[in-house]
Amino acid sequence: MMAATCLPASLARATLALQEPEFFKEKLADGTLPPMTERLPKVPRVINLAAMDRKPGRYGGTARMVIGSQKDTRLMTINGYARLVGFDEHLVLQPDILERFEQVENRVYTFRLREGHRWSDGHPFTVDDFVYYWEDVLNNKEMRPRGLPLDLLSDGKPPRFEVVDPLTVRYSWDVPNPDFLLRLASPQPLTLALPAHYMKQFHPKYADPEALKKIVEEEGEDDWTGVHINRSRTYRPENPDLPTLDPWRNLIAPPAEQFIFERNAFFHRVDETGQQLPYVDRVVLNVSASGIIPAKAGAGETDLQTSGLDFVDYTFLKDAEKRYKVQVRLWERTQGSRIALLPNLNCGDKVWRDLFRDVRVRRAMSVAIDREEINKASFFGLARESADTILPQSPLFKPEYQHAWAQFDPDLADKLLDEAGLSARDDDGLRLLPDGRTASLIVESAGESTLETDVLELVTDHWRQVGLKLHVRTSQRDVFRSRALGGEIMVSVQQGIDNGIPTADMSPSGLAPTGDEQLQWPVWGLHYLSAEQKGEAPDLPEAKRLVDLMRQWKRSSSTAERETIWTEMLSIYTDQVFSIGIVNGTLQPIVTARNLTNVPEKGLYGFDPTAFLGVYLPDTFWFDGSA
Amino acid sequence: MNSPLPPPGAPLTHYVSTAPFDPYSVEAMTAGQAKVYQASQLRLMWWKFKKHRVALVSGIFLLALYLMIAVAEFLAPYNLHTRNMDFIHAPPQRVRLFHDGQLVGPFVYGRTMQLDMDTLRRIYTDNTADVQRLRFFCSGDPYKFWGLWEADFHLVCPAEGGQFFALGTDRLGRDVLSRIIYGARISLTIGLIGIAVSFTLGIVIGGLAGYHGGYLDLMVQRVIEVLQSIPSIPLWMALAAIMPVSWSPILVYLGITVILGLLDWTGLARAVRSKLLALREEDYVLAAQLMGAKSSRIIGRHLVPGFMSHLIASATISIPGMILGETALSFLGLGLRPPITSWGILLTEARSVSVIAFYPWLLYPMIPVILVILAFNFLGDGLRDAADPYK
Repeated sequence: MMAATCLPASLARATLALQEPEFFKEKLADGTLPPMTERLPKVPRVINLAAMDRKPGRYGGTARMVIGSQKDTRLMTINGYARLVGFDEHLVLQPDILERFEQVENRVYTFRLREGHRWSDGHPFTVDDFVYYWEDVLNNKEMRPRGLPLDLLSDGKPPRFEVVDPLTVRYSWDVPNPDFLLRLASPQPLTLALPAHYMKQFHPKYADPEALKKIVEEEGEDDWTGVHINRSRTYRPENPDLPTLDPWRNLIAPPAEQFIFERNAFFHRVDETGQQLPYVDRVVLNVSASGIIPAKAGAGETDLQTSGLDFVDYTFLKDAEKRYKVQVRLWERTQGSRIALLPNLNCGDKVWRDLFRDVRVRRAMSVAIDREEINKASFFGLARESADTILPQSPLFKPEYQHAWAQFDPDLADKLLDEAGLSARDDDGLRLLPDGRTASLIVESAGESTLETDVLELVTDHWRQVGLKLHVRTSQRDVFRSRALGGEIMVSVQQGIDNGIPTADMSPSGLAPTGDEQLQWPVWGLHYLSAEQKGEAPDLPEAKRLVDLMRQWKRSSSTAERETIWTEMLSIYTDQVFSIGIVNGTLQPIVTARNLTNVPEKGLYGFDPTAFLGVYLPDTFWFDGSA
Repeated sequence: MNSPLPPPGAPLTHYVSTAPFDPYSVEAMTAGQAKVYQASQLRLMWWKFKKHRVALVSGIFLLALYLMIAVAEFLAPYNLHTRNMDFIHAPPQRVRLFHDGQLVGPFVYGRTMQLDMDTLRRIYTDNTADVQRLRFFCSGDPYKFWGLWEADFHLVCPAEGGQFFALGTDRLGRDVLSRIIYGARISLTIGLIGIAVSFTLGIVIGGLAGYHGGYLDLMVQRVIEVLQSIPSIPLWMALAAIMPVSWSPILVYLGITVILGLLDWTGLARAVRSKLLALREEDYVLAAQLMGAKSSRIIGRHLVPGFMSHLIASATISIPGMILGETALSFLGLGLRPPITSWGILLTEARSVSVIAFYPWLLYPMIPVILVILAFNFLGDGLRDAADPYK
């Protein structure tokens, strides 16, 4: 397959004189930049646009984007989606930065780099960059006092790292590590290499001690590790000096109100005619209050906007099409639920904790919600009423997951709650807890959208019908995790499981307590995350089973085996209602300039696995000057 | 001898006029003048106040509003929480009198809703065949009067099976007019209760500081300076965050008013103090002291009444500040929370661009806010003028 895709490129390059972007005219003229053939790797990644129903484009233009805070420069890393391996539109893993990769039994991974691939400063990208990161960063006691990141451990053991030849590296474990490639392809990827030639000046092994000391003092860090971490941030591209492999590189260091990203002259992707990508010269990110992003998008002040927009803004944006040169598309969101209620099984209030751990209570809370009304009121009936589970687009989907305890049945809810020991009621018809308090639930919301407020208002009424009182508290998303860990949160409102369109080869970690950001069981998640050092072990049989299944998946070596595991996990998760989903498959408006070409009409929008726009390759978008 | 005086021993030569004598004849008063001179302070103020036409109108307007909130449930055509999922974001309905050239009395046309799936808008069209006569003094949406008695009696209701949204509906299909009327209850009383708190604090603290002076005064002045130097919004935020969520909405409401009152007394305390500093030197205070009156009695009975009218005027002027404070707090999501509905809450819900572009009727709660604040300002202005009727 590799050979097949390479062929047209080499042919094209032989026959066609490659046209250079106007953008580099001066640099090419004064010789500071070599011509395109020398800038590209010997074997670039060829994106066959015709096969994707898109058109090869022309260079030029500045794409404007509005971001809600400086932290959102990470959108460029996510949307740029230059990964060692990455998903394509059909969620099949493809080598991207790598020329090819091989894996044996999910244990031995061999990566072959592209010959002649360069960092954005023109320095070659080689196995030395992997060696530097492995030896001097990952295995440096000062840098990583607690050892390797969890993703690199399989059954607690680190991999063996070998340099096979000057273009090939290998990571091998004794036990399978099926998650490895997925972590490399994820929107926030596992890093395996850093530009050694640049980073060495901040590493005591290579740097002049005096110079390094001076830098450490200037930056006000305690020691060199702080400087090294600051300078090597790749997910949030904050250091304009750090060479990158992304399609665009940042020129502005924060704090700033505007970030300018310029095309990477050494980017490794080409279209089928051999033209180097990206087409768009510059991407400009303007920082603005997140509340006015829809207004800005509707006033034609952005050329490519997805973040900060919500379905409720669609009417306004659609109307703006008449007045400004913008176009709105609706993509489908991939979360398991657009809004989900997560009862905290590690809640500090003992009475409530025991109730939440009673599956009857969770089921009752779920069936008491009239999802149809919510869908009608907030989503024009266009969303899918569903439990918090995967979407029909996933090959693992079964209708019973969607419908599990997602029907509207207040009588059943009443019956379940009565059985769970909440049969006593006060004068207002509110249920009484076993200790005599009224059953009032405090739901914490980040209060980021009116959508959340509206849905909660409806849920308040629905739950009131079955004798549960709901209070909403608004607090900052940042403190959610620590407060949930401390048991201060009873129920939180969030989006459902991240990846709603998984294949069996993707990790089912969202369905088991595996992280402290899972607000339905943060303490159990921490237990797993910290390799059983912190937190508490799950004591609910179903949750234990989920962890066991997760461990089995980690050791699995065949897709069929993983599929069985996924199926069992999905049915446990939906049947046990560990999170209460409301609707999923809601629509996300994507606003672009009208002449921005190659943007797909339909798509799936989500962080994981599609990396927002990432798998749709924004580097292939271009401004059609004639339109 | 030609002396004007009679010789010693002789009687004086004079005569006594028998004509009636009025010592005030030079400045004789008409009946009207006499009325003024004999009028009580209160009466004088009223006369002066009446002359301030705008203030008078504002006063009547506010009085009417406060009477209205007492019977909000009766005036509002719908219950506060009634949702109508078939009429989401419906624009205001026009009340008509004539149908086909015939007088039928107040009615609205029925409406049909269509979903435009392209722009995702709800389009409402009047169905002119469907005449829905409004009913008056009718039974409609059930409610609990003052939260105590079940009732369903309304001033105006839609026709049976029909709809009447005079100011449109919001995103959950709730009637905006009804919500404004219910919201007035919270927004208007919050000012009064808040001012009562700040009034009490201001008079007591300012009075003590002004009357006693010395260290007490010094301390109070510094506290006031510190309080006034703290930026108000962050302070509100901190205080509002203290209130537990599980508090019932009524408690939260009281909490917010107390917070507003607690932060607002400083200006008033200063005014009271400076007045007292001057008045305590008066002779009648000394007299009271000599008679053994306690300071509370002197402040309360002798000093404060002397400038009460000023206090009332300045309090009236600071009520709008309270109302705006509540609106701002709720707008920021720190103050009241649904299901309590105040004008601030209503405005919070109308923050997005699409509201301004497509559903402008959701911004109507702004109008009562502006009117009430203007009215309070005019009223305060009139009261201040009236407080010193001799000027």
